[in-house]
Amino acid sequence: MNAEKNGLLAMLRKPSAKYSLLSLLVVGFFSGIFFWGGFNTAMEATNTLEFCIGCHEMRDNVYVEYKKTIHYSNRTGVRAICSDCHVPKDWTHKMIRKIQASKEVWGKITGVIDTPEKFEAHRLQMAESEWARMKANDSRECRNCHSFDSMDVEKQKLRGSKMHKIGIAEKKTCIDCHKGIAHSKPKGMKEEDDE
Amino acid sequence: MSKSIVSTAVAGALLVLGSHAAIAAPDWGKVPKRDVNVFHAGVTPVEWMTKKSDHSGTSGMRKGETCIGCHEEKGTLNFNFKRLADKELEPKGAPKTMIFPVSVQAAYDAANLYVRLTFKAPGGGADKGDKDNEVKATLLFADAKVPQANQFGCWQSCHGDARTMPAGNDKKTKYVATGSYELVQWASKGNKVSDGSVGSERKMSGGATGAKAEASKSGDTYTVTFTRKNPGEGKAVPFGVAIHADHASGRFHHVSLGYMLGIGADGEVKAVKQ
Repeated sequence: MNAEKNGLLAMLRKPSAKYSLLSLLVVGFFSGIFFWGGFNTAMEATNTLEFCIGCHEMRDNVYVEYKKTIHYSNRTGVRAICSDCHVPKDWTHKMIRKIQASKEVWGKITGVIDTPEKFEAHRLQMAESEWARMKANDSRECRNCHSFDSMDVEKQKLRGSKMHKIGIAEKKTCIDCHKGIAHSKPKGMKEEDDE
Repeated sequence: MSKSIVSTAVAGALLVLGSHAAIAAPDWGKVPKRDVNVFHAGVTPVEWMTKKSDHSGTSGMRKGETCIGCHEEKGTLNFNFKRLADKELEPKGAPKTMIFPVSVQAAYDAANLYVRLTFKAPGGGADKGDKDNEVKATLLFADAKVPQANQFGCWQSCHGDARTMPAGNDKKTKYVATGSYELVQWASKGNKVSDGSVGSERKMSGGATGAKAEASKSGDTYTVTFTRKNPGEGKAVPFGVAIHADHASGRFHHVSLGYMLGIGADGEVKAVKQ
């Protein structure tokens, strides 16, 4: 044991008789880039539309609804996919969300929402949870693309223009009014959702 | 000399008679038209309209915005008609025509207020519940006690539990909790005129407006002229128009949003003094 310990310590102190410290560091540095890149690529693969609709729960319900909306197809051809709204872009929040998403893997395995009836039964709960997340982060994912600062309310149509002026004055966040922008609204929304 | 006295007297008499005739019937050619649009509102009673998760405009309403303030744009109504015609808001299926214009003209004299509606009533109705009347035209005037009438017009009287609503009670009519509306209606069968009110319930008679109506049809176009008691010079009265087209009954009428009728006062429709 002692010998092994010595061996470990010795290895750390004098890693290689054959290779220089510099070679080891350079190889390690570039390997790190390669494997970090690989990790990131795998991470981003889980943010693609194709990955999300790989689960029929998403493909047959919310994807169908989203395809009818302006975030899918519009005049300027700018599309927002699932991860643009549901996965934070900055690294820390993204990692936290990805770890939380392991709960969804468990849900998939146990089939919590694997039929249309089960999906509808859970729709309100899922919607409320997502709205709460967006309200708590001041609609951070909406702000990936939109902001009151970059919005010219005078160029908008009458209804939008008036409502955004109220939103600016009352310091509202996007999700306060834009519930149902990409997926069907659930039945039984509570008055608190009307805040 | 006597001849000229007589002729002056005759001329004087004729003038008096002539001016009486002018007071009784306004020269509609000289009265400006204000186009309003009436639309198929589906199942959007006041309970729906004041719930933010159903109608996001509630935020604006809470700040005193009127319906037309947001919804009348470029001479038409900027509703999402796809949504209005959808099963969620119109379970029975939408009529062929969701929106059409009605020209409103108004004039008044000491005794009366005259309101003339000109419109083409479309066919393709969704629910032909009134076998007798092909067309009906109705005006509702809110009194000062109806809350937010200057914003909502007639909508305060439209409830989810009224007859012909999906969750409706067959015995319940339009109603309003506070205040009341004066109701004047022309129905095409026999040119029937109703002078009623909407308070705790809708009554087709017993109203105090002394309403009369004349109607004519030229080709496709109906012209209905209502005569009713002048509510008072200097007043602005919230009002709304409803056309029951193609034998419509109950909620299947095309309705207008709320407008203000100014009688010697400001309003979307300004009655011309005779």
